[in-house]
Amino acid sequence: MPVARPRLSTVSGLLGVVLLLAGSYLGLFVAPPERHMGDVVRIVYVHVPSAWISMLCYTFAFGFAIASLWTRRPRWDHLTTAAVEVGIVLNVLLLVQGMLFARPTWGIWWTWADVRLVFSFLMFLLFAGVLALRAFVDDPARRGTWTAIATITAFVDVPLVYYCVRWWRSLHQMQSTPETMDAAMKLPMRINAFAVLFLAGWFIARRAELERRRQEIDEVAEPAAIPRAGSIAGTGVEA
Amino acid sequence: MGRRFGRSWALAHCDLEVAPGESLLVAGANGSGKTTLLRLLAGLLRPTAGSVEVFELDPRARRLACRRRLSLVSHQAFLYERLSALESLRLWARVLGRRRDDATLGELLEEVGLAARRDSPVATFSAGMRKRLSLARARLEEPDLLLLDEPFAALDVPGQRLVERWIAESLGRGVTVLLASHQLEQAAALCRRAIVLDRGQIEWHGAAADAAARFEART
Amino acid sequence: MSLSQGGAGVEGRAHGGRGEARGPVQGGSRGGGLVREIGAVLAKDLLLEWRGRARLLATVLFGVVALALFSFAAGADPAVLDRGAPGFLVLALLLSSTLALGESFRVEQEDSAMEGLLLLPIDPHALFYGKALGNTLFLSLLGPVLAVAAVVFYAVDAGAMALVKLVLLWVLAAAGLSAPGTLYAAMTSRARSQDVLLPLVHYPLVIPVLLASVKAIDLILNGDPMGQLGSWTALLAGFALAYWSLGGVLFPLAVEE
Repeated sequence: MPVARPRLSTVSGLLGVVLLLAGSYLGLFVAPPERHMGDVVRIVYVHVPSAWISMLCYTFAFGFAIASLWTRRPRWDHLTTAAVEVGIVLNVLLLVQGMLFARPTWGIWWTWADVRLVFSFLMFLLFAGVLALRAFVDDPARRGTWTAIATITAFVDVPLVYYCVRWWRSLHQMQSTPETMDAAMKLPMRINAFAVLFLAGWFIARRAELERRRQEIDEVAEPAAIPRAGSIAGTGVEA
Repeated sequence: MGRRFGRSWALAHCDLEVAPGESLLVAGANGSGKTTLLRLLAGLLRPTAGSVEVFELDPRARRLACRRRLSLVSHQAFLYERLSALESLRLWARVLGRRRDDATLGELLEEVGLAARRDSPVATFSAGMRKRLSLARARLEEPDLLLLDEPFAALDVPGQRLVERWIAESLGRGVTVLLASHQLEQAAALCRRAIVLDRGQIEWHGAAADAAARFEART
Repeated sequence: MSLSQGGAGVEGRAHGGRGEARGPVQGGSRGGGLVREIGAVLAKDLLLEWRGRARLLATVLFGVVALALFSFAAGADPAVLDRGAPGFLVLALLLSSTLALGESFRVEQEDSAMEGLLLLPIDPHALFYGKALGNTLFLSLLGPVLAVAAVVFYAVDAGAMALVKLVLLWVLAAAGLSAPGTLYAAMTSRARSQDVLLPLVHYPLVIPVLLASVKAIDLILNGDPMGQLGSWTALLAGFALAYWSLGGVLFPLAVEE
């Protein structure tokens, strides 16, 4: 059974593309440049939405993982995997965007002093570990259980990692995004946030479907029953 | 019920009912699914198709309740290599919650013929000795359901006699016994009913006495 | 398929013949049974570790070697070594802990011993807590040993009070490392390439323990003007609490087929 009716996820995808175009247009051409950082800051219009939605994907994955362990139905495993993968893709994009922002602003590709950058990197490592674990397991049932376990364990770590990184660098903060926002800047950001959300939804649905089909190929139907000979009459036992 | 491993079905359309106190012989060639069947009953595996009920409980959902009352003796002895025979029994007794002092455990080891090696590490044991230790464990468990997977394998003649005596005694006490074995004559003498597995499916069922003949006729 | 007929089947027979023998098993309280089982698992693990103490010593030696390697890599500048000492120590401990965790489940895989325990009506939670306690104990002992090495290597200056605090802190960190470590070691010991997989999934997870320990050790050794030690200790405690609970819940699912 398909995870989401193709029509629904396609609508979600199309909506996402449209919104992304609208939000990007607004962000690139209509919104004013930021006071201090100039045009470079426009990356924030994809950067911040990516951050929100990647966290949201991980949260979805957490929910799917719990469902997977609770119900033991493969459908939830497909969804968990899909959500983790989409979350990781967004996470990687996030890191790249962060580096693209840091370079012109501070002249360096990477800094350990930026809480958000470090935090997103650690998120990536955490959830990449989930996918790594998957790759080493052959049996689909066990793979599903272990993926769910790893996802839940990783997700519980998120707040702990967050506080850790924040306190670690509390004395030396470098902001990767400006704190104050013009109202005119908030709109494209929100539009893009929804855009990325819908696109992510579409990707998750498609990926889960792909996973389901892959598993189906590996499924082999029970062989036909062979006729059974003999009878137990006379052994004093009921059938 | 059925069970698939990867692309092959180790067991399929296995439709079986065993009454309490019964003795069932599970016969079949290598790879016919005997071990899979016993492991499914023990709750070590989940059925890919169908369902399993032991003592009218799902052995996966009610693991502890089922496992308290059954015992599996199989090829693997489930031993910790660096523990001695006595220490292994102590560990199992403690896990089972049975207060058994060393003297009682020593007697148990004597029963299975391991008294001389009670303090040697299991790593030094031969296959036959490991089998005897598993039997001792099963004795300790005092199960209502005895699942025996090739219990005679690796045992010398006295060892096999021990197993036979023990099976007969258990049946006398009302324990249900499922015995998977190649030694058909030996096993058939102990069991009333038999099934023959072929490539994971029950190919024949009937009186244990007829099983040997049936198996010979087929192969 | 089913293996009994009617309610009067096996149950009736069991109670008739051996109801008395069943008493201690079924009648005991659930809490008491769990503690007993944890004790059995822990005792077994301690005994096995003692028997295999050559391996333990090798793990400790590995930690010392790691410390030495870090020193060489960091260069000869004593100021750098001094700043890096807490970090090197915690890293060496982390690397050693991975070896120890892997080892604690290798023992279970030989002859499928753990499967055997699970076949006995052992509560899988007992298996988790027993093993996690065993691992915590081992790591706790490892800490002071490597700390002595660190003091020698890095000429760390510390009073007796500081050393006591260090030991206590390290026990907390060891608890934090052991809980997810036991869970993951159980899983990876049954997958392929355990040696690569365990560090890969374990290390990102325990980064909070790493950071918090390094910071806390630094504060203990070099002074704590802003009173931050409490927060870091709280973080370690929170981590340990979260994963000892979560591990207990997830472990049974991880080890059943």
